Amino acid sequence: MKNTLRNVFHSGKFVAGFVIFMFLLVTIIVYPLINPGSPLEQIGVGTFAKPGTYVSLYDAAKTNPDRERETLRLADADDKRLAKALSDSDRVLMVEWLGLKGVDLEGIDYQDTEALLELWHANYDASFKPKGMTSAAQKKYKRLNDALLDLQTADALSVMSDGEQLSLIRKTDYVNVGTVTNVKFLPLGTDNFGRDVLKELVGATKTSLGVGLVAGIVATLLGLAMGLLSGYVGGIVDDFIMFITNLFTVIPGFILLILISYSISQEFRGPATVAAVIGFTSWPWTARSVRSQVISLRNRDHVNLSKLSGHSMLRIVVTDILPYIASYVVMAFILQVSSGILSEAQLSLLGLGPKTTTTPTLGLMMNWAMMYSAHTNGSWWAYFPVILTITLISFSLNLMNTGLDQVFNPTLRD
Amino acid sequence: MKKMSKLLAMLLAVAMICGMLAVSASATDVTLPREETLYFGGQQWGSVNSWNPVGTNQNNSMAIAGNAGGYRSVMFETLFMFDFLTGEKKPLLADSYEWNEDLTAMTVTLKDAAKWSDGTPVTAADVVATWDVGVLTNNNTGAGFKAYIEGIEATGDKTFVITSKLNDAGQPVNPLKVEDFLTGTPIAQAAWITTLCERNDNDPTKILNDAGEDVVWSGPYTKYYTDDQKVVLIRDDNYWGQDESMWGKLPVPKYLAHNIYADNAATELAFKAGEIDVDQQFLGNIQNLWLEDDLPISTFYEEAPYGVCLTMPTAWYNMNIPVIAENPALRKAIAMAVDYDSIIANAMTNQSPSFSDVPRSLMNPTAGEQALYDHEAVADLQWAGNDIEGAKALLDEAGLVDTDGDGYREYNGEKIHLNAVCPNGWSDWQAAMVIVADAGEKIGVEIVTEFPEWDIVQTRFTDPDQTDYAIFMWSPDSASPSMPWGRCNQFLSSQFVGLQNNWSGNWGQYVNEEADKILAEIPLTTDQDKLVELYTELVKIYLTDVPSFSLMYRPSLFHAVNETVWTNFPSADDGRNIPPADCTDGYGIAALYELELVG
Repeated sequence: MKNTLRNVFHSGKFVAGFVIFMFLLVTIIVYPLINPGSPLEQIGVGTFAKPGTYVSLYDAAKTNPDRERETLRLADADDKRLAKALSDSDRVLMVEWLGLKGVDLEGIDYQDTEALLELWHANYDASFKPKGMTSAAQKKYKRLNDALLDLQTADALSVMSDGEQLSLIRKTDYVNVGTVTNVKFLPLGTDNFGRDVLKELVGATKTSLGVGLVAGIVATLLGLAMGLLSGYVGGIVDDFIMFITNLFTVIPGFILLILISYSISQEFRGPATVAAVIGFTSWPWTARSVRSQVISLRNRDHVNLSKLSGHSMLRIVVTDILPYIASYVVMAFILQVSSGILSEAQLSLLGLGPKTTTTPTLGLMMNWAMMYSAHTNGSWWAYFPVILTITLISFSLNLMNTGLDQVFNPTLRD
Repeated sequence: MKKMSKLLAMLLAVAMICGMLAVSASATDVTLPREETLYFGGQQWGSVNSWNPVGTNQNNSMAIAGNAGGYRSVMFETLFMFDFLTGEKKPLLADSYEWNEDLTAMTVTLKDAAKWSDGTPVTAADVVATWDVGVLTNNNTGAGFKAYIEGIEATGDKTFVITSKLNDAGQPVNPLKVEDFLTGTPIAQAAWITTLCERNDNDPTKILNDAGEDVVWSGPYTKYYTDDQKVVLIRDDNYWGQDESMWGKLPVPKYLAHNIYADNAATELAFKAGEIDVDQQFLGNIQNLWLEDDLPISTFYEEAPYGVCLTMPTAWYNMNIPVIAENPALRKAIAMAVDYDSIIANAMTNQSPSFSDVPRSLMNPTAGEQALYDHEAVADLQWAGNDIEGAKALLDEAGLVDTDGDGYREYNGEKIHLNAVCPNGWSDWQAAMVIVADAGEKIGVEIVTEFPEWDIVQTRFTDPDQTDYAIFMWSPDSASPSMPWGRCNQFLSSQFVGLQNNWSGNWGQYVNEEADKILAEIPLTTDQDKLVELYTELVKIYLTDVPSFSLMYRPSLFHAVNETVWTNFPSADDGRNIPPADCTDGYGIAALYELELVG
């Protein structure tokens, strides 16, 4: 046993897979301790807040001007503000508009911001719309004008409360993020419901691993039992079991899965049910492989010896056959877990996964991201980390499987 | 030998490519010049069934569609065009109408210039024939108006009289609904209706299902090409509306086309790519299309809510379920706990005013309807949502408490367990239902979401005896001359209770005699103060009994335009006052006459 384990941990592939998997496992255990609360809590009002650090504007504005604010005279601060309001393409837009308006542009330097702004403010007219100009373009100029007007505002903003001035915020006022009472770090932003994506992702990974585990156990146990029975007993029993196995193999498993999930009403479709359904549809390959191995084992000398000694069938199977196929079963189990997780994701993506309001799953996260067109509106954080997680899980499980294979399968041994 | 097989492989490849080219070529039989075609999106799903304006089930939304914003009058025209911005009825086939003193008869005069596509004038006989075939077949016109219209009689070539149906007291049942007839019913030609009836032996079912390929129309467009991938209408250059008494010109685009897309997502992609000019679909975070993607896309209003919100998608309580019917406190508590700001921000991406801006009542957010009830009198009945503590207190007070400690409240010893239902794939509604379920969780009432397919949902919630859905979503009607009475009627009237295959109103089977009485009184009331008093009374009943609760305000038609090819679409600040009704519905069709090409 010790020797086997040592061999296993000498396989680089297995170790790599194991490390990734352990990392995921530790994360789903530790992260909820650091960041407790329901993973489905809707903290954001609105959809798809970008990843980043959010500072409470209220708390920042209420910081004490004498003690908590610093005056920093940064040389490039004004330039940055200007660049945000007036990019190079905006300059081109301004010149285009002025041209349309018939303003004489001779001798104008586009980079001379002051002159350009002066010319713009002297000529801009929101109602001007030459024939052929789209209202989208007209509105765009209006937005540009608003941004430029914003640039002209006073050097200080005043914070008012009930008509009384609390403080002035000057352009040179800065606060340390640490002194602001409420700061929220959202490493992966929020999803379409305003949920913290990272928190939800961790919760979903946990559920999905659970689903995969249950599906894997069900499929492996079922496949093992069928394979052992069919291979060892043989005859009519073998024919019958193989008949059923073949039936299951020729019907595409995923379609069967869709049909069964569809027929279970959503009310009863919890993660456990979905896991069981996946398990019950994915055992045939395990059964087939176990059977073929059992057939080759059943006429070995040590098995015949046990038979002659009058051992019961159960004892022969458990002591003389199982140990020889155990390594294969473990590897098959790992693959079943991996495919169980993938199946859940696929089902949920089609809206046939576990019911929606109580537990997050990886597939459901992708389902909602897709329904809200996250993939077309650029909200990558709503679906890409999910895909990455699924990939990592099945990658790590497959690595472990290949590593084990190299250890146990003599023909693959280096 | 090797050479031979190489040659053979090459020949095979060439044959395959040719085959594919042939298939793809045959799929696009008709190519339309882009500068003469206005492309639509989000209206037509599946292929067209018929062109018969007096039939049913035409699935022909480009040519035949009764919409909340007014009837789509591109091929078949109504007497008047509804303008939901102003509430006006603008003349189309008819010039004017006039009620008599006691609102029992309305005299309508048709336009002199109005003609059919075969050159014959539109006469009073055509309107009478349209009405008569409606009554005979019980189509939308017949079924929709026979409770309010006694009959229509021609009094001259160009004039006719609509007689109101009278109630037992000798008063007209509902003059408002009679006015709906003017803007909601497409008029068909009497001669064509006669042909139609004759070839179908006057059999109502056969008439309703006639494909109407030989139909005569009066509108500016007619059918040009249709298959399972697109529908194309072509301009009728002999259209009567070029007459100075109507538009004085022809509409600008020669073709109106609608490609048939698989789903909203496919339509959205085509719209962004500029393959669709006018899109009637909900687009989440639409402002990003111009702010971030810099596309030439715009909406009627530049700022949220971007469209004109005319309706309120609503969660209905099913009164067939005892725990709901017997506990007004439960109904109100759930409604109070729901986080509407979150629904509006998430499901509608803020394309709706909030319930703090426009407090809940039976009215949509337009100024006209908001003026119809006394805001102060109902202020303490209204709720803006997310009031968890208030909802809990209400439930505790009503004796709905958690006795067995499982976190959920019981009624008569049984855990209250409700479901919240809407069709699968209707993403904004699904999100709303998830948020309703979330509210239940917070106040200790178990609510689970259920998203069956639309085919199933539509048979269940229209069944007056169903107990499968406890809370389900549906929208009342949005705008017509008879609003807001029509919407109040849909929310509260017992006239729809027990109605089989109910698409008309009160889907929760709520009964309140007091409300029925007021609903009968409103149409006959002309005094403005009295009207406000009656509507206020209705709002009070609605907010006290909570037979349903609205989740958001919403435009009845989405109207986003991509100005890649066409421009000069209606916009709020252009001073033209053309409603954003997809350039086709009601008075919105005026936009078609003023489009311009870009550049």
